[in-house]
Amino acid sequence: MKKKVLSVLLSATMLTGLLAGCGSDGGAQTSENTADNTQTQTDAAADTNTDAAAETKEDETQTDAAATDANAGDAAGEAVTLKWAIWDKDTTPYWNALKEAYEAANPNVTLEMVDLGSADYMTVLATELSGSGSDFDVVTIKDVPGYATLVSKNTLEPLDSYISAAGIDLSQYGGVDKQVTVDGSLYELPFRNDFWVVFYNKDIFDAAGVDYPTNDMTFEEYDALARQVADPTFGSQIYGTHYHTWRSAVQLFGVLDGQHSILDGEYDFFKPYYEMVLNQENDQICRNYADLSAEGLHYSAAFSSGDVAMMNMGSWYISTLISSLANGEYDSSLCGNWGLVKYPHADGVEAGSTLGTITGLAVTSVSANKDAAFAFVEWVSGAEGAKVMAETGNFPALMNDEVAGIIAGLEGFPTDEASKEALSVSNLYLEVPYAENVSQINDILDTYHKSIMNQEVTIDEGIASMNEEVGKVLGQ
Amino acid sequence: MDEKKAAQIKKLETESAALMQKIREESDIKKKQKLIAEREKKQRKLTAIRNNRILSREAKRDLVAYSFIAPNFIGFAVFTLIPIVFAFVLAFMNWDGSNEITFVGFDNFMKLPSDTFFVAALKNTMIYVVGTVPLTMIASLALAIVLNQKIIARGLFRTVAFFPYVASLVAITAVWSMIFHPSKGPINYLLLTVFGVPQENLPKWFSGSLVLVTLILFSVWKYMGYYMVIYLAGLQGISAELYEAGSLDGANTWQKFKYITWPQLRSTTFFVVVMLTINCFKVYDIAVMLAGGSDGKLSTSATVLVYYIYQNAFNYWDLGYSSAIAMVLFLIVLAVTLVQFRYEKKLEA
Repeated sequence: MKKKVLSVLLSATMLTGLLAGCGSDGGAQTSENTADNTQTQTDAAADTNTDAAAETKEDETQTDAAATDANAGDAAGEAVTLKWAIWDKDTTPYWNALKEAYEAANPNVTLEMVDLGSADYMTVLATELSGSGSDFDVVTIKDVPGYATLVSKNTLEPLDSYISAAGIDLSQYGGVDKQVTVDGSLYELPFRNDFWVVFYNKDIFDAAGVDYPTNDMTFEEYDALARQVADPTFGSQIYGTHYHTWRSAVQLFGVLDGQHSILDGEYDFFKPYYEMVLNQENDQICRNYADLSAEGLHYSAAFSSGDVAMMNMGSWYISTLISSLANGEYDSSLCGNWGLVKYPHADGVEAGSTLGTITGLAVTSVSANKDAAFAFVEWVSGAEGAKVMAETGNFPALMNDEVAGIIAGLEGFPTDEASKEALSVSNLYLEVPYAENVSQINDILDTYHKSIMNQEVTIDEGIASMNEEVGKVLGQ
Repeated sequence: MDEKKAAQIKKLETESAALMQKIREESDIKKKQKLIAEREKKQRKLTAIRNNRILSREAKRDLVAYSFIAPNFIGFAVFTLIPIVFAFVLAFMNWDGSNEITFVGFDNFMKLPSDTFFVAALKNTMIYVVGTVPLTMIASLALAIVLNQKIIARGLFRTVAFFPYVASLVAITAVWSMIFHPSKGPINYLLLTVFGVPQENLPKWFSGSLVLVTLILFSVWKYMGYYMVIYLAGLQGISAELYEAGSLDGANTWQKFKYITWPQLRSTTFFVVVMLTINCFKVYDIAVMLAGGSDGKLSTSATVLVYYIYQNAFNYWDLGYSSAIAMVLFLIVLAVTLVQFRYEKKLEA
């Protein structure tokens, strides 16, 4: 009997211990935050030069900012601290730039950035937001599968009422907002929008005496060009093209016609592109997938080693290329003479259709300062945020001529007209549009992409498996 | 108050007397002992009440003892016991970590047989276990026997054999990826130049059906050093007199192994096999590092159960389903271990 009583007592102690554990955990977190906060403050203080620069910028935007401030009305005055989830603070220049610019425009707001790392950012974020005890106000949304997860977990605040109250015109995002709308509601506003282009190495084309690629290429022309410029001689090998191991780099040529999507459940439209790439692989026009996957070769290492003539990649690589060439990390004799052209297109499809991927900001449903949080989201995804993004060499979701001009005018951007023109996009299709089960669909397509590219299965078998497995998910 | 106490004392006294009577009448020795223990308890309570103590001396003693194990047990309960029990419960639920938990009965388990990725993961895990356990055991036993002889630089060789176990998994998988690189690796270069395998038929070690072979080879190489040490300890526990007696009876080396070493190592082998089996079922890191490519995702040819559990839990947030898969893994490991224990007991008898 006594033992039973004791065991009950013991488990009671355990439970209190558990609860106490949770409590003290929260305490530790806040103290950590304050430490982080003072850190950023000292950082800002040390950087007086950039501060001054930011201030002059500020003067230009002051009139705009004043207008929005007047709209926001009560947002001014009371001191608010917003906790904001981001990744790779030290290597991504725009987080701090956005923070400083916003804090300068809204002195009552303090932004507290929490770096969750980029490798598994969305997984960590979903874990952070699970259950109670999270105190994030604004979270950055890195990809659509992760967005779908957070929405289904009811951790994000629907922004529709805020958007209509602030009078934001969603058409400025060129339709990408529709691809992340969930049952008629929008839970994020995009602030960064990367789209895929073809990078090419002018030196290789010059040496081979082949004309540069153009902004209006069909896939046949692109394939022919790759074969023309490639040189399979062992030892001095030149690859006509390079495809990174992501499925987006191969499969998604198929969605550019605007009639197909990865949510279809029928993937026979992938076939011609798998055939094109695998044939190039077999003829040694591009590196083979099994090798790439075994050595984990990064696309930047592939392009900067100077043996790749053309590589399809996202526009985020532009700022990497510019800065790595400037600081000498890349050998400019190997890849310094580069250019950009638009994605190739299928016959009968308008040139300039490409794939995109957006980064957005969302307000959490547990935030205590939703209005202030949304005001920040609105600012970052609006015109002022776009300007900050462009000045750091990134593509804002709000793309206009002024912004394109800023990027094309960056030191180190190719000077030819075609490269500038390549920045204008006619149709943008998201790599992964929103659907409820998009994480599963994404993983299924990844799995069979791997099998097809490793030539474990034939293209037909792989596509049949995709159809079957995605069919199961969609049928649930 | 006192009246109540007196009544309690009286009640206990009569109960105790009744028990005493029963004890006298009882003939079965086991039942008698039980009754005696019961009476003793009553007596202790009685003294406690008479002496105005809340807890009897025995209860106090017990409490002290429990307080000594409490720190460890609380940690165990919070971080192991409660999560495990919770996982058992979750297997019958539907939960995404944020919204409400709903009870779904056996639905999660019913979905398993038609899930292509689960079936692939189960099959791959089984092949991996069946391949790795005997090979590692044989390799480590052979190493232990060789390195138990008086050979030159024995310590050096033992260290070398143990080294893969100490080295960081990430570093050595990177080295293996280079050695087995499908077009530039030295292994395939040897196959091409020395054995004349045509270039298009060179094995792709990290994809298709070969990937499991690579995984098995890797684990045998990495873990044989560890189990070698266990076998070495076992070998040194065998009395030299047995071998001496064997030599006198004219036993050759093979007979000595068969009739002395192997039976004497039985309990060591049992330990090695059980630990190996459990560890092999848990395979995850090796598969992701060797076959995951640049994004750490496993295709159907290399996926394993633990990877699929992780994927369901933290990519799809289907915690119920992933707990159900974890339960299946648990039951398999439990069944295999029970069979091994039974077999060991049979041998002992």
